Amino acid sequence: MLLVARKNLFSERTRLAISVGGVALSVFLIGILLSLFRGWSQQVGGFVENTPADLWVASDGTTDFLAASSALPGALGSNLKFVPEIDVVSPLIVRPMELHKSGNNPDDTFDIQLVGFDTLIGLGGPIHVKKGKELPGPGEIIIDNETSRRYGVHVGDRVVKGTKSLPVVGIATGGDFVYTQVAFVTLDTAVDFIDLEPTTLRTFFLLTLDDPEDAGNLAKRLGAATPGAKYVSPDDFANETRSRILGNILPILIVVLIVAFIVGLAVAGLTIYTATVEKSREYGILKAEGFTNPYLYRVVFEQSMITGILGFLLGAGLTILVAPFAQDSVPQFVVFVRWQDILGIAGITLLMALIAAYIPVRRIASIDPVTVFKG
Amino acid sequence: MAENGRVILDLSGVTKIYGSGEFAVSALKETNFRVLGGEIVAVMGPSGSGKTTLLTIAGALLRPTTGSVAICGIDVTQMDESKLAAIRRERIGFVYQSFNLLEALTALENVRIVLQVQRNHSKAHAAERAREMLEVFGLSHRIDSLPKKMSDGEKQRVAIARALAKDPELILADEPTANLDAKRGHEVMALLRQKAMELHKAVVVVSHDNRIREFAHRIVWLEDGRLHDHHPEDHRFV
Repeated sequence: MLLVARKNLFSERTRLAISVGGVALSVFLIGILLSLFRGWSQQVGGFVENTPADLWVASDGTTDFLAASSALPGALGSNLKFVPEIDVVSPLIVRPMELHKSGNNPDDTFDIQLVGFDTLIGLGGPIHVKKGKELPGPGEIIIDNETSRRYGVHVGDRVVKGTKSLPVVGIATGGDFVYTQVAFVTLDTAVDFIDLEPTTLRTFFLLTLDDPEDAGNLAKRLGAATPGAKYVSPDDFANETRSRILGNILPILIVVLIVAFIVGLAVAGLTIYTATVEKSREYGILKAEGFTNPYLYRVVFEQSMITGILGFLLGAGLTILVAPFAQDSVPQFVVFVRWQDILGIAGITLLMALIAAYIPVRRIASIDPVTVFKG
Repeated sequence: MAENGRVILDLSGVTKIYGSGEFAVSALKETNFRVLGGEIVAVMGPSGSGKTTLLTIAGALLRPTTGSVAICGIDVTQMDESKLAAIRRERIGFVYQSFNLLEALTALENVRIVLQVQRNHSKAHAAERAREMLEVFGLSHRIDSLPKKMSDGEKQRVAIARALAKDPELILADEPTANLDAKRGHEVMALLRQKAMELHKAVVVVSHDNRIREFAHRIVWLEDGRLHDHHPEDHRFV
């Protein structure tokens, strides 16, 4: 590093602190928002992706798991069992609803996504049971760990909807969709709890195949053979679910990311520019002494780069340190810090530093060394 | 190192006009000015007489409107900026009225930095040479001091050490005593003269301080953009 760049930068500690702080704040904001986006993406699609099915069957027009506007005749499941390539058919009844904990204020409700599944098959049930029974019995419910943590509902408590209630017999993980969580009951319990009419109606069917590699071709054939039903892979269905939730958030997120970038750029740019203006005479002296413009540009670029690197290290460090604790304070603050994102932010910081140096460099180019002979 | 008697600076028919049309101002008019190696020339004159213009043209910082400028026999009149920078870097040392040290750098670093941009100086060699020069100027105890911790006299000695460290043929000093009291001004000029003569440098000192007359081999008077030769003992303009 050039002597002048290093000395000028570190001789003005307050300015350096402001500059590095501005970049760090920007990096922290970008880092946290990206990690939040990654965390939500991971969480929102997790249940659909981790359920070991090869195809999801829904009624045409169904967009995702959470909206669950799908309605399929139970007979479709019976017919699918006769398709030779299909190994298992598991029906699901899914319905979003509000519950409250027995003994609490009835207005103190929370959202869940009730999932009724065939406990004999097991497909579509809890991903991993952490506490209590592995499968719900008739008239029992297994809730997600996040529901338990957020709303203080534990094994032995009862959850209530209107005049009906279910005892909590287990706590599972892997069913958190950030703003709602899945809760599992038997098919019959679901029919009764939501007063399903006709009782044979199903929301989804989950299929496992003899040859999972053939899922794409089979989906096309089945789609053509059973009008009104669509067959999608777990990945596609998970992505559609993500799009539904995150699609509305993404534009806002992008705007905030751009604002964070501009904040960092403005702080770094302004502090480096004012430092350059204050040192104009000294740059003039160096020009008079025979230092070339490229040398002086390098001084500014190095100052900008060092500011950027320090800001990045501080901001990225804060992101990594703060992220794990954020969810403890705000349950919806689900973050996932990826090293690829940290690398990307390093690139953004580099870009920030380069742009921040541009105007000061132009200023240096315009300095006339003759001015150093005046006074 | 400049050879005694060799022409180091040669301004021939130099005119400098600022502005144009009815706003044109002639700072220098058909000026001829030569300085030899080992010679100390004082350029004196009233404010606004064109002294700084003469100095900056001699220092390859400003192009004349007409005429030619040669430094160490090299015509620099039409040179591009990068070559002019190389001439300033390799062949000219500047001493300024307000010292012009870099505030964030120590005395040693202020001298070292100008040496480091010269191709023939490694970092270690530049530091060694800077240390030697500061010792020559009695600043051993100030090597690690920042300019703000030094007296004006010390700052000017660092500036002269910086100018001489890169072993230039030509030293251009702009009002080097203007910010110093009489005693320190005398010390600085005596030191500049002594070192310049030992090292056979061509020195141009621009000033309107009469005290510098005793240190010059030759005095020229600049008024209204025109140069007039005068002997150091000639006091008509004092």
